[in-house]
Amino acid sequence: MARQSPRGVVHAMQSVRSTTSLRAFLSQRSAAPAYIIPGASLSTRTQQWKNARGYATEVQPAAPEIDFAKFHTQPTRIIPRSPAYFSGSPKFIDHLLRLEDILAKYVSLPTVSAAEAPRKAWFKLPQFRDVVGEPIATKKYKGLLKLLQRLNRIDPNLMPKAVRLSLDDFIRPGNPYGNKPAPATVDNLGRARGKGKRKASSAVVHLVEGNGEVLVNGKTLVEAFPRVHDRESATWALRCTARLDKYNVWVAVRGGGTTGQAEAITLALGRALMVHEPALKPTLRKAGVITVDRRRVERKKPGHVKARKMPTWVKR
Amino acid sequence: MVSSFCWSCLTRLRQTPRTVLPSPTAVPRGPAFHTSAVRFFPNPMMRKKPGQELGGPKYRQSKSARMKKKKPVDGKARPPPVGERKALRKRIVLSNPNALEVEGMQELTEETMVDSRLRGNVLALPVPMLDQLRAVQAFKPKQGWSIFRRPGTVLRRETLEMGRLFDNISGVGEDKGTAVKKIITGSRKSGKSVHLLQAMAMAFTKKWVVFTVPEAQDLVSATTGYGPLSDENPNLYVQNEATASLLSRTLIANKTILSKLQVSRIHPALSAVQPGMTLENLAKFGVQDPASSWAVFQALWAELTATSATTGLEKNFTPRPPILVTVDGLAHWMRNSEYRTTEFEPIHAHDLVFVRHFLSLLKPGKDESTLPNGGALLYATSTSNNPSIYSFEVALKQVAARHAGVDPSAPEFPKLDPYSNPDSRVLEAFISTKPTSAQEGMLEVQTIGGVSRDEARGFMEYFARSGLLRETVNDEWVGEKWTLAGGGVIGELERLGRRLRVAAA
Repeated sequence: MARQSPRGVVHAMQSVRSTTSLRAFLSQRSAAPAYIIPGASLSTRTQQWKNARGYATEVQPAAPEIDFAKFHTQPTRIIPRSPAYFSGSPKFIDHLLRLEDILAKYVSLPTVSAAEAPRKAWFKLPQFRDVVGEPIATKKYKGLLKLLQRLNRIDPNLMPKAVRLSLDDFIRPGNPYGNKPAPATVDNLGRARGKGKRKASSAVVHLVEGNGEVLVNGKTLVEAFPRVHDRESATWALRCTARLDKYNVWVAVRGGGTTGQAEAITLALGRALMVHEPALKPTLRKAGVITVDRRRVERKKPGHVKARKMPTWVKR
Repeated sequence: MVSSFCWSCLTRLRQTPRTVLPSPTAVPRGPAFHTSAVRFFPNPMMRKKPGQELGGPKYRQSKSARMKKKKPVDGKARPPPVGERKALRKRIVLSNPNALEVEGMQELTEETMVDSRLRGNVLALPVPMLDQLRAVQAFKPKQGWSIFRRPGTVLRRETLEMGRLFDNISGVGEDKGTAVKKIITGSRKSGKSVHLLQAMAMAFTKKWVVFTVPEAQDLVSATTGYGPLSDENPNLYVQNEATASLLSRTLIANKTILSKLQVSRIHPALSAVQPGMTLENLAKFGVQDPASSWAVFQALWAELTATSATTGLEKNFTPRPPILVTVDGLAHWMRNSEYRTTEFEPIHAHDLVFVRHFLSLLKPGKDESTLPNGGALLYATSTSNNPSIYSFEVALKQVAARHAGVDPSAPEFPKLDPYSNPDSRVLEAFISTKPTSAQEGMLEVQTIGGVSRDEARGFMEYFARSGLLRETVNDEWVGEKWTLAGGGVIGELERLGRRLRVAAA
């Protein structure tokens, strides 16, 4: 507004002096209504200011020559850099288009299966929204992920640098899959160790080659688990792989109840067995032995009798 | 000082007009302590609608939805007669006609009980022996006899060893007439009681005399009568009914043997007993007259442990057979009984002459063996009905250590914790020095564990052949069950075998 007032003065004086110059000025203003070009308007202003204070005897310098080479570089209407500027999520679409271009360029490169491709921690959707700063629909982001995964499947030995660099833009910071724990091994006494948790129980299993004897906290399986079902579930990892008479098991299990302890042993035993025989992993996975059940007791809520139970409805 | 109390206010304090107060008849009021008004009851003169009786709950009545109360069981239905439910609970069924007969099943005989080739096989108990075994109450209600066509037991390693032992004691070799003393322990369902049953069956096969105490707890749970032994021994107590029933068990089970033996000693306490009378009649005498049962039992015991007759009565003497004594649930004898003295002090189980007699057998005899004609003492502990007695646990450890040759003064010899209130009488009962007689074995503890895989396989095949198990019994399957049964605990194997599962077709 401050800048507007001297212009107002100019306006008034011009209206007195010449209507032609006014017309020119107005036309200049209306030509760029949205994007004011400060340099241009300022130059006219100073010029006219000079005119206002000038003397009649003073020699007026001629207007600078129009440089037609420069003339076209400064369009009257600014064109957005991205063609997707008006789409609502231009940066995202740019990313998408860029990846599509890359894919189209390298689509002929050999690929490996998804399991063999290097594991990458792509941005999660909320994180990606923050990075880009645009609202992105879940479905569209899934499409982007598919592209990323397809590009990631290009044979790692043949992957061009450009692809690798562009893929790195989409990886979560911190390298979540980078630092893996050292794979467990059988120790020098032939023991494999596995830990498992279920409900409030946690179990540590030491597995050695043997003939099918099981000790749970120094007690036999029968003394530890009076219920046959619990005994079966505790030894299920060995049972489903037909290894029940090939190993001896030592278990230390703490906390929780009988069922929780039995199922904590299941998990620990499955993990210990994978140390001895890693090839059994698909079988154990199918048997549901190495799947972690991380559910715990649901908390009690205020106003409820238990986690979900409500007091009896009373009419008054 | 001016009082803050305004007198004019007091003048305004007037009783509210009577009409403002609710009339006692218009609104029903509750008790004076109640602040809430009572709901209006419907006019009793008005007709009640069928579904609507006195609307709303009364004071202090639960307002939640009321369920219809169950009618109390009417007292007209009589409970079953006295003893019927117990009889049902204690009933022993030895045969299941729906089970298949196992072909080629061998019986327990003198030959098969020592045949190591039959190890792992299930041997049937001979049918004539079943009455004897029933008489000595060898079968317990929950041992699973009722699921097979005929009762049988597995010939496991411990059984074979016992068979050889019994064979040697009855035989003619150098082991003839030795006395074996064992306390049998083991984990739950490991087959301790059935081991005793097998011992009884073998003893009957070998024509021994069998004395049993099928439930040691019955002697100390104050369910049978008791009284002081005599005026000289006011601190010892005799249980006449229990002794009579022991004599009755022994009599029925060993009738054929006792009827061939004759009284060959003078028994001054029993005037009615004459030399030359059969031992069967002697025992009958005690059964018929419980008051003299303890004296009769002593006489019978003296006759059976006699190695020769008193002078003049040699013609009545025939060599006495070995004796088997079994007690099940030994731990109950290691603490105060439920009986009381006249001063209402608890009576220790060791003050009951019945208990004292059987415990004294564990100690080595003074001059000769406690069982001079040979035999076995098998006292089993129980784990399902077991009082936890610290002194007894230590005593068993000490017995095992002593048998292993550990010197009682050595540091590794199990010691009592003096702060855990040990019972010295319990320890005393198990302290046994080296027997003087060569014929007498030292007291030892035998722990029964699980059966081996081969024995488990034989046992499971017996289930399959009886039609109880419809699965292919192979080594892998048996190995799995063996592990699930805690390393072949036989009771658990039986539990797994009898779970009826139809294999997926």
